[in-house]
Amino acid sequence: MTTHNLYFLSAIGIFVGVLLSIAGYYYSRRRRSPQVSWEELLQRLTWIDRNNIAQVALDLVDEGGQPKGVHDAAGLEPAQLWKLVGGLKGLEVMETNSEVLIDLAFYLQQWYPEALVIAERLRLDARELKWHVARLKGAAQTGNLQISFPFYAQRAVVTYYLMTRRLLDLYQAVNFSMLEKLQDAL
Amino acid sequence: MHLTGLDFFFWAVSFLENLGLLFVLWYRRLARSFPLFTALAMLCIIRAVVMYFVLNHGTRQSYFVTYWSLAVVDTILELGIVYEIASRVFRPVGVWARDVRGSFLWMVGLSVIVALGLSRLASPPARTWAQSFVTKGTLFAAALISELFVLMMALSISARLPWRTHVAKIAQGLGAYSLVSLLIETGHSYFGVGGEVRTFVFLSRIRIAAYITCLAYWTVMLWRKEQPSREMTEEMRERLFTLQRRVEYDLQDLRSRKKL
Repeated sequence: MTTHNLYFLSAIGIFVGVLLSIAGYYYSRRRRSPQVSWEELLQRLTWIDRNNIAQVALDLVDEGGQPKGVHDAAGLEPAQLWKLVGGLKGLEVMETNSEVLIDLAFYLQQWYPEALVIAERLRLDARELKWHVARLKGAAQTGNLQISFPFYAQRAVVTYYLMTRRLLDLYQAVNFSMLEKLQDAL
Repeated sequence: MHLTGLDFFFWAVSFLENLGLLFVLWYRRLARSFPLFTALAMLCIIRAVVMYFVLNHGTRQSYFVTYWSLAVVDTILELGIVYEIASRVFRPVGVWARDVRGSFLWMVGLSVIVALGLSRLASPPARTWAQSFVTKGTLFAAALISELFVLMMALSISARLPWRTHVAKIAQGLGAYSLVSLLIETGHSYFGVGGEVRTFVFLSRIRIAAYITCLAYWTVMLWRKEQPSREMTEEMRERLFTLQRRVEYDLQDLRSRKKL
């Protein structure tokens, strides 16, 4: 066997190995997900006080998600914000919950492909939420959490709040029978 | 040139299975949803007839030209099917899921580069440049299709985009066949190509056996009905449309902010 052939066969071996690993990983992930019932998905949501979320979010935006003017905003104090959000832990819970919210939209999308646009928006929202939380985690490592928290945390909460509103609107739009349970959970 | 008993068996089974698949696609009204996949089944039938005719009445040269010309069309159609599946998964209602469009294009670019790299590394011991070119080309196509299927699956699962049953079955069949093809093309690149090379003939038969298995899988799976989408009432559609318009507006706003 020539050196060139050895390189070629090694490259093919690595290539096939990587492809099979990716395929195996995602295939097993996909096989697990359809078995999850709607109730099981709902149970994955960690309870968060919705009043606190609404209070923090509506301080910055109106019900429709439009930013409020400087004079309309109540301007929560950083300490109050920390308490209402539950600190970094509270934001991490929202981050985890945002994944479940996408799953709940995906559940509906399987029946109604028309829900694609809303599911897409939720995915973008979740990405934005993760981005805010990542900034705060970075700030925590450099000892700047207290300075960064009010700015990023409130925006993360707004994103999460709007995600829940959009999901509820989606379920309401298609008259999904589980809407009441979802409203309770959120 | 002559067909051995085994070759004739493969030829006949493949021909009949393609006819069966075409019938299923027509009977289940799937041909309109999967035009390129249907075209591939038709091409296989036409190829079986043409190749049989050329084998019995044509020259060695004409057989070579016809075989590899149709192989090129076959590869183009397979790449087209990748697009057909991608469009079913990533734009189920005629609109691309825009947040995955960038990743999808990036994925295609990366796949092309990796497939090009692999085919460049191959140095098949061939008698003519045409054989060498075609072997490298087929290796490139097999690597590209395998990559695209795997990465497409990964992307859709990450983005939580559902695969409808028939789309998933076509993708699974073609993905598995492409992976087998890749291994066979690796063998061709290593051992050499041409009817006189015993390994080439042996590997080609394995490929046909894999394709026949794939055809049987598609025929059975596409015969089964998939779970239909639920019909929306006019009122539901109206409400969802209003919600979508609002979300679309938000999305455009978000995108324009990202561009700034």
